[in-house]
Amino acid sequence: MITHLKNGRLYCPVMGADGVIQDIYIRDGKIIAKPNASEKISQTYDLTGKIVMAGAIDMHSHIGGGKVNIARMMLPEFQETKNYSEPEAHICTPNCSHHATPNTADTGFRYIEMGYTAAFEPAILPINARQAHLEMADTPMIDKGGYAMLGNDDYFLRLLSRKADQKAINDYVAWTLHATQAIGIKVVNPGGISAFKFNQRRLNLDENHSYYQVSPRQILKSLSTAVQQLGIAKPLHVHCNNLGAAGNFQTTLDTMGASDGVPMHLTHIQFHSYGTEGDKKFSSAAAQISEALNKNKHITADVGQILFGQTVTASGDSMMQHLNTKFASPKKTVIMDIECDAGCGVVPFKYRDENYVNALQWAIGLEIFLSVEDPWRIFLTTDHPNGAPFTSYPHLIRLLMDKSFRNEAFAKLNLDAQAMSNLTSLNREYSLYEIAIMTRAGAAKLIGLNDRGSLSAGAAADITIYTDQPDREAMFAKPDYVFKDGELVVKNGVVVKVVWGKTHTAKPEFDIGVEQDLTQYFDKYHTIQLDNFKISNDEIASDGRGGVITHTQSN
Amino acid sequence: MEISSNTQQDNKKVVATCPACGLLCDDMSLEIKQSGIKVLNTNCTKSIQFFEQPLGETTPKINGESVTLQQAISHAVTLLKSSKNPLFAGLSSDVQGFRAVYSLAQKTNGHLQHLNSESMARNMAVLQSTGWQTTTLTEVKNRADVLMCIGTDIVSHNTRFFERFIWLSQDSSAMFTDSSKREVIYIGENLNTQAGVSPDGKQPTSINCSQSDLPEILAVLRALIAGKKLKMQTVAGVQVSGLLAIADKLKQAKYAVLAWIAKDLDYAHAELTIQTITETVALLNSQTSRAAGLSLGGSDGDTSANNANTWLSGFSLNDDKFDHDAMVWTNSFSANKLPGKTDFPLIVLGNANTTFEQIPDVFIPIATPGLDCVGTSFRVDSAVILPLKKVRENKLLTLSEVVTQIEALL
Ligand SMILES: [Zn+2]
Ligand SMILES: [Zn+2]
Repeated sequence: MITHLKNGRLYCPVMGADGVIQDIYIRDGKIIAKPNASEKISQTYDLTGKIVMAGAIDMHSHIGGGKVNIARMMLPEFQETKNYSEPEAHICTPNCSHHATPNTADTGFRYIEMGYTAAFEPAILPINARQAHLEMADTPMIDKGGYAMLGNDDYFLRLLSRKADQKAINDYVAWTLHATQAIGIKVVNPGGISAFKFNQRRLNLDENHSYYQVSPRQILKSLSTAVQQLGIAKPLHVHCNNLGAAGNFQTTLDTMGASDGVPMHLTHIQFHSYGTEGDKKFSSAAAQISEALNKNKHITADVGQILFGQTVTASGDSMMQHLNTKFASPKKTVIMDIECDAGCGVVPFKYRDENYVNALQWAIGLEIFLSVEDPWRIFLTTDHPNGAPFTSYPHLIRLLMDKSFRNEAFAKLNLDAQAMSNLTSLNREYSLYEIAIMTRAGAAKLIGLNDRGSLSAGAAADITIYTDQPDREAMFAKPDYVFKDGELVVKNGVVVKVVWGKTHTAKPEFDIGVEQDLTQYFDKYHTIQLDNFKISNDEIASDGRGGVITHTQSN
Repeated sequence: MEISSNTQQDNKKVVATCPACGLLCDDMSLEIKQSGIKVLNTNCTKSIQFFEQPLGETTPKINGESVTLQQAISHAVTLLKSSKNPLFAGLSSDVQGFRAVYSLAQKTNGHLQHLNSESMARNMAVLQSTGWQTTTLTEVKNRADVLMCIGTDIVSHNTRFFERFIWLSQDSSAMFTDSSKREVIYIGENLNTQAGVSPDGKQPTSINCSQSDLPEILAVLRALIAGKKLKMQTVAGVQVSGLLAIADKLKQAKYAVLAWIAKDLDYAHAELTIQTITETVALLNSQTSRAAGLSLGGSDGDTSANNANTWLSGFSLNDDKFDHDAMVWTNSFSANKLPGKTDFPLIVLGNANTTFEQIPDVFIPIATPGLDCVGTSFRVDSAVILPLKKVRENKLLTLSEVVTQIEALL
């Protein structure tokens, strides 16, 4: 069984293919080199004039787990938004259901229809990981995986405050990855979620947690070092302190230095790029942030672009979300302290283009996209659903690729915000090749997915095929074909076969001796047994529908 | 799991997880003998009843007559085929069981209604109108210095709550507070406050009032916390000075926990009482200290069903009443909770010990997760999800196995 994709124009940064006409062959779910003449081709697709990319990978999207489900539960009204008026109407693709809180089936279907073949849940609370995996197991069509949150859990903070050696931290980090079946480690508002439980309301990078007397900087240093020393491909995923606060760009700049050159990924950096200039004491610091990103080669970032319309912000950052409860729209919020492990804050939000702050947030995100020079170090996200639902990616791609479209949208914004942004002076238009880096090759490399994001022989045959259209939104919204592990699953934007995808993990080696201390800790302070904390491969397999793929770093 | 191969041996001991209430205690020490299971380390009657229940009749029945499984399944299929809109009620199971029933309901144009739908709806109404600020059991254990039990003694539903999360046993301890010094406050109607007496004999604060006066009294408490000066001396027979003392305790707490159980707030518009509680928590958090709400209870797999329904459909389970022309009652856990009387065809997929008032058209005994088969359950705080073990050997099929067979024939 060989499938032949003929005459397509390939955009594959792994191969260095920038619009090269080249054939692809698929066998047993993998891309293979050109077979010899004796081998039978069972199916051929003529892709003349079509654009071929690897399946897209969303490296940061809240698709499963406690806070996502709380958002669904709290917002039944979100499930019935079909007729859009402005401003939603002008951000949506015609087919876009624009649910900020899709159910698991919707999530899988909407992703694959756009040619995305994997998405990563960036905020798995270790104690709640089983729920995240249950939800991801019920998410069809795509591969998934997640980052386990550490740095606000009392076990780690106790280690750090008693100056445990780095090895003890490393073992605990590796143990957590195994136990939670995650592929990376995230820290959200380092120390802040825990500090909020002790009634601290803000925490700056060099301010101490009142109980543990450790600072966010120390937490970042310790965790980023652990991730690096363990050989985990995915750099520490960092949601900085002071999310959303005017003037927070300084924290973000300082955070870049907190790891002393060890790789870190700063997530939804748009929400951390705010200055305090102007009458409204809220301004764009995109220029400073982009300049620092260009300079600091050990730092990667995703944008967390906002787009106008109704959504919900679901974050682990209970401290900062508690401050945001007053902005909730509709007026309801959930704030939770969770299991001496983490927290969460769910705040529905409506971004309005006539609102000064929202309009500027929109511009700041785009300014960052256009000012960061290396597409291998900046990633396309809306921090779904926090900035906008992931279904708005085709629109976002058009904003990046089409300057006149972007400037037209800019002209509709709040006038004061327009005056505070240099967006129209940025002439850059992303190329297809650069989009392929951001959404495919770069994302796979960042996460450490050895066989994804590439069209070269040996890669998994996750492939998306588009018709080249000048309207890039229309093009990216509705691919002609999507192949998942070699099977045709989408034709003309419609799902033709349901598959379930696998779960990507990383499992570095560690000293199992760490379980002795952990067992004592659990028995004394926790409310479940250590063994029940750990998620087995069998649980993920879920009667054979799912499965675990473990990646090892190749260097 | 590891147990199944060893159940032949006498006197095997295992540690298991108990799904009999929302706490999901996973420290149950069981002795497994040929003659049955014995719970060794607790006298929680719910756990004992659960683990020590005998294995009932395992043959399926049509109209009370024993039949083969295939006959029972094909009769259920016939009934479902002639139904336009079946009601899937009960829904007491684990995640896997619920998921299977959800799928069957999708396929048959059916509606879902959990046996606790009425009390669950009270909480959902608050979540969907204002949201809330809540906490989970490990936070309570390590942090809570004041616990207020509102309209509930808690222990009628969650027997080991005080033992496991408030007073703590010898080998357990709280990280951030002296557990023996915790303040416990009760407010409600004739509550049994015994569990709230501290290990060194300190009595809890208790305010006795009728449940139906809770809305008014809690509104006054909230006003006092907000700093309002009130002229009245009493509210619904309760001294305002007593409420003021409670308000001060809550404000001075490092981490006050306000607990309720929706099932115990059983009167019209009880959701408004819950909302007053959660608004009081939000008010405390907007002032100078920390506080959190805690919704307890949780039984019959309701937390699992609600969570799974939410991610599968996008909606929480609700308390809507549906027109239907057939009923499928599923209950993996309890032998005693039965469907209400129905004039329509009734299919029961239930605990093998179930005894009926109304003989169902089809009865298929199914495995109980945590006892006869493995499974996955949500704890009442929804933060923790635990695997359930198989601790005894028998041939009962799981709910999802039976439902999958039915679905395949539709
Ligand atoms: Zn975040
Ligand atoms: Zn995020």
